[in-house]
Amino acid sequence: MNVIQESMKDIRASEELKKNTLYYLEKQKKRARPRMAWRYAAIAACLFLFLTVGGYRLYARPVSYISIDVNPSIELGVNRFGKVVSTDAYNADGQNILNHIKLKNMSYSQAIDKLLQSEDYAVYLTEGSHLVFTVISDKSDIIMQEINKDELAREYQVSTYTSDMTCREEAHEYEMSFGKYRACQELTQYDETVSIEDCHGMTMGEICDNIKTCKRYRHGRSENSSSEEGTSENDSSGNDGGQCKGKGRHHRRHHGNGN
Amino acid sequence: MKSDEDLSRAMEAYADMVRRICFVHLKNKYDTEDIFQNVYLKYLLHEKTFESNEHEKAWFARVTINACKDQLRYLSRRKWVPLDVMEDEGEVISGARSEVLETVLKLPEKYRNVIYLYYYEEYSAVEIAKILGRKENTIYTWLMRAKEMLRGKLGGEWA
Repeated sequence: MNVIQESMKDIRASEELKKNTLYYLEKQKKRARPRMAWRYAAIAACLFLFLTVGGYRLYARPVSYISIDVNPSIELGVNRFGKVVSTDAYNADGQNILNHIKLKNMSYSQAIDKLLQSEDYAVYLTEGSHLVFTVISDKSDIIMQEINKDELAREYQVSTYTSDMTCREEAHEYEMSFGKYRACQELTQYDETVSIEDCHGMTMGEICDNIKTCKRYRHGRSENSSSEEGTSENDSSGNDGGQCKGKGRHHRRHHGNGN
Repeated sequence: MKSDEDLSRAMEAYADMVRRICFVHLKNKYDTEDIFQNVYLKYLLHEKTFESNEHEKAWFARVTINACKDQLRYLSRRKWVPLDVMEDEGEVISGARSEVLETVLKLPEKYRNVIYLYYYEEYSAVEIAKILGRKENTIYTWLMRAKEMLRGKLGGEWA
């Protein structure tokens, strides 16, 4: 044993010191455990809340709109998962339908089927009526295809059109669904004596009939004058919807087999 | 987190060493208690496993030395000292041994560390270099100077 070892051999940790230290550590452990547990619980709760709110916002946000007009004018908001997340009526008949039929949280094709099958809606689907679907979407092709494939819709000889958000905003200024607004604009193009306000009182059947009459009249006139700008029966000059103030323009895409 | 068995084993195995390192650096039992709590709390929360008992012991030596350094730094910043803390640790030092100890305690801090690790724990200079995180040559120099100082004060027969 060297001198240093000799000199320090009596310096030892007392039992009291050891006991105090162990007691202190025991206290720390007890305190640390619930603190960690709380922390994990808080993190989990935050994450849950975040995902729920985020998920809900993602779910509840419509990315596409489908306007369904006969006389009742109804707009469906469709989210990115193809589910109906909002329903709005733009006239009394439409409101009446929505009061009776719940269309939210089902896929849009299911919602359309349910609507067409319902007795409340069938009242409006008479001989002279006209069932028109107008779609605003990045994937409007797919949605229109779905609608045209739908057997019930085929029975009622639907027409499908596309529109855009600018027209939708304008339509809502006139308190109209954008589907009806599109048709009104088409009519005003052919018949300058009719204003958008006049269309409020008309059903889609009446508007479509008027358009048809105007087209036939024009067609006949242009044939008589053997003009070059003749338009075919199936499709007009391609600008059949008129233009909204914004950048958008209506495009006619498909006409049901009845026309 | 370490188990209770680990903890009591480490307490039995290293408490004396921790106590002695504290003795070399600190003046009173309250600071020593603080160091014990610090060091063993670090051990409790130490997630990695030790390769061997030697490795574990070296870990304790290093952590204790660092804790003492931190404590001294903290004490030097403190503007006041409670009266009851001022009592010395004099009672453990007695007889002929006290002369050696007193001399060791008067050495600068770095020399105290190497003298303790080299003579008491009988670590080699290479091992001390690892524990203190210094170059081997630095340790050799420190050891040499520390020995010279002790020799000067305690007489030629020493070490």
